[in-house]
Amino acid sequence: MGEYKTRVGIEVHCELKTNSKMFVDSINNYGGMANVNINEIDFALPGTLPCVNEYGIMLGLKAALALNCTINKKVVFDRKNYFYPDLPKGYQITQARNPIGVNGYVEIEVEGKKKKIGIHDIHIEEDTCKSTHADTKSYLDFNRNGVPLIEIVSEPDMENEKEAMAYLEKLKEILLYTNVSDCKMEEGSMRCDVNVSVSKTETLGTRTETKNIGSISSVGRAILVESNRQIQELEQGNTIQEETRRFDEKQNRTILMRVKETGNDYRYFPEPDIPPYILEDTFIDEVKEKIEVLPDERREIYRQAGIQSINIEKLIANKEISDYLRNFSGNLVIASNLLLGEISAYLNKTGKKIGDTFLSKEKFALLVDKLDRKEINNQIFKEILIELMETDHDINKIVENKKSASFTEEELKVLVARIVSSNPQSVEDYKAGKDRAIKYLMGQIMKETKGSSDPTLVNRLLQEELARK
Amino acid sequence: MDKLTKEEVLHVAHLARIKVEDSEIEKYQIELKQLLDDVDQIKDIVVESQELLVTPVEHETILRNDSDTREVEFNMIKKNVPATNGNFVEVPVMVNE
Amino acid sequence: MNRYLDLSIPEIHELFVNHKITPVDLVEECYHRIEENSDLNCFITLNKSEALEYAKKLGEEKVEEDNLLWGIPIAIKDNISTKNIRTTCASRMLENYVPIYDATVVEKIKSKKMIIIGKTNMDEFAMGSTSRTSYFGAPKNPIDKTKITGGSSGGSAACIAGALTPLALGTDTGGSIRQPASYTGIVGMKPTYGRVSRYGLIAFASSLDQIGPMTRNVYENALLLNEIVGKDKKDLTSRECEREDFTRFIGKDIHGMKIAIPNYFVSNIVSNEIIQKLDHVVEILKSNGAEVDYIDMKYLDQAVTLYQIIAMGEASSNLARFDGVKFGYRSSQSDSIEEMYANTRCEGFGSEVKRRIMVGSYLLSGENAKIYYDKALAIRNAMKEEFDRVFQEYDFILGPTTTTVAYNLDESLDDPRKSFMDDVLVIPVNMAGLPGLNIPMGENDDHMPIGLHIIGNRLEEARMYQIASFLENKLK
Repeated sequence: MGEYKTRVGIEVHCELKTNSKMFVDSINNYGGMANVNINEIDFALPGTLPCVNEYGIMLGLKAALALNCTINKKVVFDRKNYFYPDLPKGYQITQARNPIGVNGYVEIEVEGKKKKIGIHDIHIEEDTCKSTHADTKSYLDFNRNGVPLIEIVSEPDMENEKEAMAYLEKLKEILLYTNVSDCKMEEGSMRCDVNVSVSKTETLGTRTETKNIGSISSVGRAILVESNRQIQELEQGNTIQEETRRFDEKQNRTILMRVKETGNDYRYFPEPDIPPYILEDTFIDEVKEKIEVLPDERREIYRQAGIQSINIEKLIANKEISDYLRNFSGNLVIASNLLLGEISAYLNKTGKKIGDTFLSKEKFALLVDKLDRKEINNQIFKEILIELMETDHDINKIVENKKSASFTEEELKVLVARIVSSNPQSVEDYKAGKDRAIKYLMGQIMKETKGSSDPTLVNRLLQEELARK
Repeated sequence: MDKLTKEEVLHVAHLARIKVEDSEIEKYQIELKQLLDDVDQIKDIVVESQELLVTPVEHETILRNDSDTREVEFNMIKKNVPATNGNFVEVPVMVNE
Repeated sequence: MNRYLDLSIPEIHELFVNHKITPVDLVEECYHRIEENSDLNCFITLNKSEALEYAKKLGEEKVEEDNLLWGIPIAIKDNISTKNIRTTCASRMLENYVPIYDATVVEKIKSKKMIIIGKTNMDEFAMGSTSRTSYFGAPKNPIDKTKITGGSSGGSAACIAGALTPLALGTDTGGSIRQPASYTGIVGMKPTYGRVSRYGLIAFASSLDQIGPMTRNVYENALLLNEIVGKDKKDLTSRECEREDFTRFIGKDIHGMKIAIPNYFVSNIVSNEIIQKLDHVVEILKSNGAEVDYIDMKYLDQAVTLYQIIAMGEASSNLARFDGVKFGYRSSQSDSIEEMYANTRCEGFGSEVKRRIMVGSYLLSGENAKIYYDKALAIRNAMKEEFDRVFQEYDFILGPTTTTVAYNLDESLDDPRKSFMDDVLVIPVNMAGLPGLNIPMGENDDHMPIGLHIIGNRLEEARMYQIASFLENKLK
């Protein structure tokens, strides 16, 4: 008897970050007051026709390219017909026959092992109305109707929950990095349906679909409990039914929603109101150009530059900072330390974005260069940070000013000697072993140098001077 | 006369979400069968190209700019809605989910 | 009562310009005639008080001298959305539906200061060939009130034939402008697919539907077409065309024109009295320097089958929005969602519509979509290519518009296939997206009109009006 193998395929719906809806020219924004971002097309009033959002198509294309898909250059839509009150036209406009992208992949890494997860297809479609329910009535809000969506359908290539979670993390990263979607699972702008099957052979077992799971870690737990459930069923001699289930977070188990009707009859046919739209090669190239360097490529650049892996992940997690580092040609280790350290602290404190400050990329490059050449030290950097961030003063001038206020080692020696001899009490205390004394003396020296001196140097000189006493 | 079965009529009526009274079933059994026999002729037509003509449109499709938007007040739309409750459209309770 | 309405549009315009009459005179005459002929049942909804008010306001303005349609009354088929004027599609489903927006054609009509008199009767949701499927009762043929008007634009046709208004808009999915025009002896044009915006036209079959003018003569038809065409960003199937004057070739001769008559159009499906009229037209054409050839065309005899599949398939989807949720009728038996759907659609739709939706749903379900729908679209493509081939050699394709003259109103409605067969000669035009025009070419012994069908290549409407006007003069 062999072991059971789990196979997982995932369908992900993501809302596109557009200003207006996909096939309606009303605002793409829901969650506020009901039925305000609507017009007659949302309500499918008799005689209305769809109009297609060009930017939505572009985002769909961008996602397909970023997921390594083959592009269907002739963009066409189909109608998926079914009756439900949240579907005003009685059909959803989608891409059933010729999705914008097919045969793509995402590369994941789990426990050091790399693996490609196939993307069966990615297609563009529209969301439905939001409904709320009371005892005998339901209430419809049309604001969400027509919100642009892409559905990304994976191949059943994942073999466990870790791979599935890595796949989702990677997908999310890519869609965030390409500005296609917010990917906020908790707000519903990214939704996952998970298909799980188990089998002892290479032939796939009967799969179940677990719908609308609220977070990536829940997806992991749902896969684990669902595959265990299926194994138990099979072990008890039962068969698995093709059915839709939901994941109960609290009970940590999946619960049957409904057995699948034999072949849902959606009566698909080509949408006659939207003639084919041709994606020109030049346009596809333009969109390719717009795709920024994706996370994995960035990781590789950082790794080769010698940045520690903990900092690499910090950079990837902070796209704004990572973007700021793009095309940076200086010392990436110093640069990333500055950005993740003092600069991030400053940005967090002030609530600013790096783009809102006066620290242009050019200025930043000069700064890193000066640090790299040891023209300035960290201490000076800390002291000129605010000036760098909040003024348009030339960086060379800032550094010059700082330096002119600073002391050579010889000058410092003289100063240290003077401070020590004018504070005999502190010398006594130092000799009596009181640490406070050295701190006090350091403070006095730093005060005189207006903080421009390297504290390590001052400390050494002070120790030497005290030793002579 | 050739007819659809009663079950076939009810299945098609359900697909179309149209209630069929018992008294009408017989009529539909005959009429639908006549129409379906008509369209069945299509199976015998030989056509060389498999290219589908979805719409006779031949011009280039021009899409809408994302920033072009317009809204209509719900108060206007509401006039034709059979049942509303506040700012919502009201329907019998939806089951399913 | 005056008889200004019997004057031609340029003559009426002259009277406006010279302050001999005002729009109010004309509008009052319209309503007078409509009331006198109320038994024709041309209108579902009249726009009387608003039309009179607007006419009065217009009368206080300066006449637009370069706008021949200024102040001219027009009737609009009741499947075209008119803001604040009830638009029913001749269905119980929309009995109380008052649109909140104007169709793009209606905006254009208004911007040219035409006066909307009312909404004309039709087959329910334009499904039918006699206008008898109307929830509001059938309109009558003004030539003989015991006869059908044809359909689905029967109300608009009767309105023109009965001289109630000089202009009307109809819609044509499978002959619904041309066939009633033929039965009532008027001029009706279905323009090239995409010429006229469909925004606001309540869809029956999206890839076939087109709005077009219905008028007393060719020239006025071209005048009205001038004002309703154009690319509309609200309708992706509408096309950008250079602005043109469709009357510009009217009055030119037809010497050297090459005309094809498909043998199928003169086969034994067409009654003899009609073939005879067509023969007479052929004589006129030949004696005036046109070449006429009888040709074979593939697929023409399959058009009805294609139409049934494509039109019913699309209709089953287009009419899904009538579900009792957002507008229109909702059954009082609506305790659950499923009951609401089934009862609303059972009570709200008439039997022709229900039958077509059911068949359409079936044709798209499961594997059928491939077996029927895809196959139909493949043949449709072949049919279009067949037309393209003919138009490489010929300027026009001619034939009769209908196989018989208008038949009796009380003829049975029982055969569900009859309504499709009435359109057998005009459907191919919709399949290929071509323009098609009906002009009267005579009458039979009972004085029932017989129509000539002129088919042009895409965007060739101006040339069609040229030959149509030429024949109109010769046939007087």
